[in-house]
Amino acid sequence: MLRQLIAQLHHLYSTSSSLPLVEEPPPNQRWCLLNLEDNPSEDDCCNLIMRSGKFKLLEPGKAPPSKRARKDRTRGKLAEKSTSAETMDEEIWKEFPEDLYEAVIARLPVTAFFRFRSVCQKWNSLLTSNSFSVQCNQVPRTQPWFYTRTHENVNTGAMYDPVSRKWHHPTVPAVPTKMIILPVASAGGLVCFLDIGHRSFYVCNPLTRSFRELQARSVKVWSRVAVGMTINEKSRSYQIMWVGSDGGYEVYDSIKNTWTCPGRMPACVKLPLSLNFRSQPVTVDGSMYFLRSDPDGIVSYDMETGVWKQFTVPAPLHLSDHALAECSGRIMLVGLLTKNAATCVCVWELQKMTLLWKEVDRMPNIWCLEFYGKHIKMSCLGNRGLLMLSLRSKMMNRLVTYDVLRKEWLKVPNCVLPHSRKRQWIACGTAFHPCLTAKA
Amino acid sequence: MSTSSSSSKKIVLKSADNETFEIDEIVALESQAIKNMIEDECADNVIPLGNIDSKTLSKIIEYCKKHAESPKKDDNADIDEKAVEDLKSFDAEFAKVDMPLIQDILMAANFLNIDNLIGLMCRTIADRIKGKTPEEIRKILNINKNDLLSPEQEAKAREENSWAFD
Repeated sequence: MLRQLIAQLHHLYSTSSSLPLVEEPPPNQRWCLLNLEDNPSEDDCCNLIMRSGKFKLLEPGKAPPSKRARKDRTRGKLAEKSTSAETMDEEIWKEFPEDLYEAVIARLPVTAFFRFRSVCQKWNSLLTSNSFSVQCNQVPRTQPWFYTRTHENVNTGAMYDPVSRKWHHPTVPAVPTKMIILPVASAGGLVCFLDIGHRSFYVCNPLTRSFRELQARSVKVWSRVAVGMTINEKSRSYQIMWVGSDGGYEVYDSIKNTWTCPGRMPACVKLPLSLNFRSQPVTVDGSMYFLRSDPDGIVSYDMETGVWKQFTVPAPLHLSDHALAECSGRIMLVGLLTKNAATCVCVWELQKMTLLWKEVDRMPNIWCLEFYGKHIKMSCLGNRGLLMLSLRSKMMNRLVTYDVLRKEWLKVPNCVLPHSRKRQWIACGTAFHPCLTAKA
Repeated sequence: MSTSSSSSKKIVLKSADNETFEIDEIVALESQAIKNMIEDECADNVIPLGNIDSKTLSKIIEYCKKHAESPKKDDNADIDEKAVEDLKSFDAEFAKVDMPLIQDILMAANFLNIDNLIGLMCRTIADRIKGKTPEEIRKILNINKNDLLSPEQEAKAREENSWAFD
């Protein structure tokens, strides 16, 4: 099937060879297509069948078969069969390895994948296919998306795709409608939600609506908690962890489907734990890092060994709102520097030897001018590689993304609902890697 | 096609049209299949690749050379960002070929088991079909009427993912 598709596409490109190959087909593609379908030339058909017979999968280590024999066989086939399009398809598709066909679909943009679900039964059922899931997990991660909640509609999400720079508006199913739940963490394409009473946890794949309400945790005190989430790439299971200011913590495991309290915090961690709840924890090498104050610094928890550590890292001067971030294993801090009436957004990297924050970048001056003399609040809506920052004052809500590797600042387009012009204000959010086959 | 340093071990690949390519072993090891052959000592002096023509094979060698020269991700956590960017732009240029060659490279890369190259070719094909409508894909693939979604299924799929159609 794919082979036929490729061949057709080739025709499209050869009829418009002046176009760069990576570009979309020209607007007159329909004409080209129909034209080709109405007049399939004999030569092209031969070519197609020969191509399809040209390769055979072999066990590594075995010598490949001689080409001559295979080609002759294919030629023989061609002579017997008619050149009608249908038979050709059958032959071609039989030879195309299933994993390659799924490998191509796994690399489609998420929105294209959903549009193509209606192509046929097979494409529609890919979401539940194990082999497709394996393929999806092999696709290298590109930039994360952002799952956010807006002030106007606390129970519908707004999802931002930084590649197409577009907002999407999915609905989260099965959530009790009277409850306000907010995204607090994510891992492996799943987003973890917590209701504003800090009681109930939910996990959902925002792309597919795969959904789970977690067991109630054992603690009966519903004070504020910091929440982190990790995924075990091998078993595709996930862990969710909450930590409270009194040093209480529990870990949820998706395989066991229960919360467990693995132990007590050691004496090296100073209590009460003045956690910065506005900063989502980051995960590096299987350890979760939480931002704290008094003393300023970080506490880490190794998900594997259950060991807690505390690092005292002095906060930069004139720092107000700030949050932890992570990029390729580096621990970063992003925050507002306010001095006199001037405010700017600054990015630091943790120096692991000296335990100091080293400034690595600042938002362009021209953007910061807008903040002059205003009282600005900043929140970080996603903190992995690509950060999304919401900068608010009384009359203003600016959203920007910052690519840590490329040191690139970009403005995010306004979030508006379809068929509406009213701009939505983003309240909170988290970054997640879109994954079609992640199951809650 | 022969390569630089004479000190390193050479491997000779022979294409379907009997053209031979002498390459450094390190370049050949980009292919998991050839690596296995060498490790199992089933590789003679010349490895015949009876199902890959010389045009495809020379492209694949070009790719493997570049990737063998570049620092590997697992070697060092602090890999040179410039090297990564350089490899990315090489890949982008490499994929600017016509569709028949892309499918030949994909099938050959699958046979030779070169993961990165399979990924690159699949991504290239995905990029070129992503702008089509389902109807166009159905036409191109000549989908059998029996394999189509029922109106109920189609409505359900659409409703579940309505956000993707905005």
